[in-house]
Amino acid sequence: PAGIHAFYSQQMLLLPFMLLLLASPMTWGRYDDFDDGEDLAEFDDNDFAEFEDLSEDAGMEPEATASPRVAAAPASDQDDDDDEAVVEIEDAQDDFEDTETPDEDIKYDTEEFEGFEKSSPSFKDPINIITVPSHLQNSWESYYMEILMVTGLLAYIMNYIIGKNKNHRLAQAWFSSHRELLESNFALVGDDGTSKEAVSTGKLNQENEHIYNLWCSGRVCCEGMLIQLKFLKRQDLLNVLARMMRPVCDQVQIKVTLNDEDMDTFVFAVGSRKAMARLQKEMQDLSEFCSDKPKSGAKYSLPEFMAILSEMGEVTDGMMDSKMVHYLINHADKIESIHFSDQFSGPKLMQEEGQPLKLPETKKTLLFTFNVPGMGNTSPKDMDALLPLMNMVIYSIDKVKKFRLNREVSGVSSTHAIVLIGCRVFGASLYVSLGASVELQKADKNRARVEENFLKQTHAQRQEEAAQRREQKKLEKKQMKMKQIKVKAM
Amino acid sequence: MFSNSMADPRRQNKILRYKPPSTDTNPTLEDPTPDYMNLLGMIFSMCGLMLKLTEKLVFQLKWCAWIAVYCSFISFANSRSSEDTKQMMSSFM
Repeated sequence: PAGIHAFYSQQMLLLPFMLLLLASPMTWGRYDDFDDGEDLAEFDDNDFAEFEDLSEDAGMEPEATASPRVAAAPASDQDDDDDEAVVEIEDAQDDFEDTETPDEDIKYDTEEFEGFEKSSPSFKDPINIITVPSHLQNSWESYYMEILMVTGLLAYIMNYIIGKNKNHRLAQAWFSSHRELLESNFALVGDDGTSKEAVSTGKLNQENEHIYNLWCSGRVCCEGMLIQLKFLKRQDLLNVLARMMRPVCDQVQIKVTLNDEDMDTFVFAVGSRKAMARLQKEMQDLSEFCSDKPKSGAKYSLPEFMAILSEMGEVTDGMMDSKMVHYLINHADKIESIHFSDQFSGPKLMQEEGQPLKLPETKKTLLFTFNVPGMGNTSPKDMDALLPLMNMVIYSIDKVKKFRLNREVSGVSSTHAIVLIGCRVFGASLYVSLGASVELQKADKNRARVEENFLKQTHAQRQEEAAQRREQKKLEKKQMKMKQIKVKAM
Repeated sequence: MFSNSMADPRRQNKILRYKPPSTDTNPTLEDPTPDYMNLLGMIFSMCGLMLKLTEKLVFQLKWCAWIAVYCSFISFANSRSSEDTKQMMSSFM
């Protein structure tokens, strides 16, 4: 009895605690309390069976349904006293499964508990612990996506800084190794076009994180030389990953612009076969003047992977002298393409509606594209390997100045001349040819032919334009007359 | 004619100033990456905003927002020098 009373008092103390717990979301503590009660629940005394039953109930119910249970607990105490409380129990116990199992009624004296529809859940039901939804949890795991994304961004930023610095170091290494040669050949080395005085800045212009350029001017035989260091986009992580699939080189592009007197009229290119095929398709002048497929340079002992595009055999022979061939053979791996042209106008323009009405402007130009050794994994030391190529550029400039096509005039009537006049006046093109006995140089013929073709192609369009203009003029004249009449009338 | 090689090839009077090549003449040579990335970034951020309004797909909204951020970073890394810093800051926003 003493033990029983102790047990009873303990349970009574627990009841207010259970009431408090109705409002609290933390339910774990409750289970601990009831565990103590379980040992004592082995008593068969029916008077206290309800308590042991309650402990079983509370121990096995999920927390979501715990509050109805707790409501049931105090209510069942007052079961004998209060009928209203019974209703509550009944309501609460609607949620139960397996409400009437005769086996579980052993501990209860049904006469004592009127209306008490005991419905205990099966003791065999497993405890159903519902986990807290993830968006209510406060752990690191719920932020795994954010952490992943921020890590990715940090990696991108790190790569940006590292790539930018590497490109900068490569550019500076190139410039320091070439500076002396450039300064001994050009009066102006480095210009960004903004300063008032034409003073050498002595440094590269940084266009963006992977392109640097340098303008050199003030030399015999040329107007100026623009050098572009086109590095790989080491600052962009996407590009770095793409390059792992498909290796690409850094490139140095040199463009020398010449005055009219610095170069005779010819078009010539030499380089790797791939580059020649591509240039022949892309470049306006190469496609027009070098219609033959790229030829092998075996005649000059060039490696197999190199090819030549030329307007005439005479040009090839003139360009491929021993020193040039020497440069080409020794540095074949670094040379992507070399392109000399007096009719250079850039790549072919996309035709919009109809043909362009004017021939593109041409400029006498020498273009060089060199590959930096290392195939992307370059170090600043590799830049020294490009110095002989710059020597080749300087040599080419001087050579082109000296080279002249053979313009021997053959035939008896050398005093006559074929005069071709192409007038780029809208709606009119005059061709006057006087005499036919003198053979003009093939190169000049080529150029005249190209121009003639162009004029023919655009003939129809230019006629239309001319007609439109005439109509416009007529309209204007009419308007003027009308105005005059009005003024007179007034 | 060896005097040519000894003589100084430099000529002060033949100096020509640098003229930045205009982009009108050769639009094909320009790299379209930063423009595409800018556009993608804006599209994704608009998607993100619209999904937020509907409040249905929280997870997709997060993806959209992060992709937009990545696009703006890539656009910045590939940008040309001629672009304003102001424009880039606004694209980051």
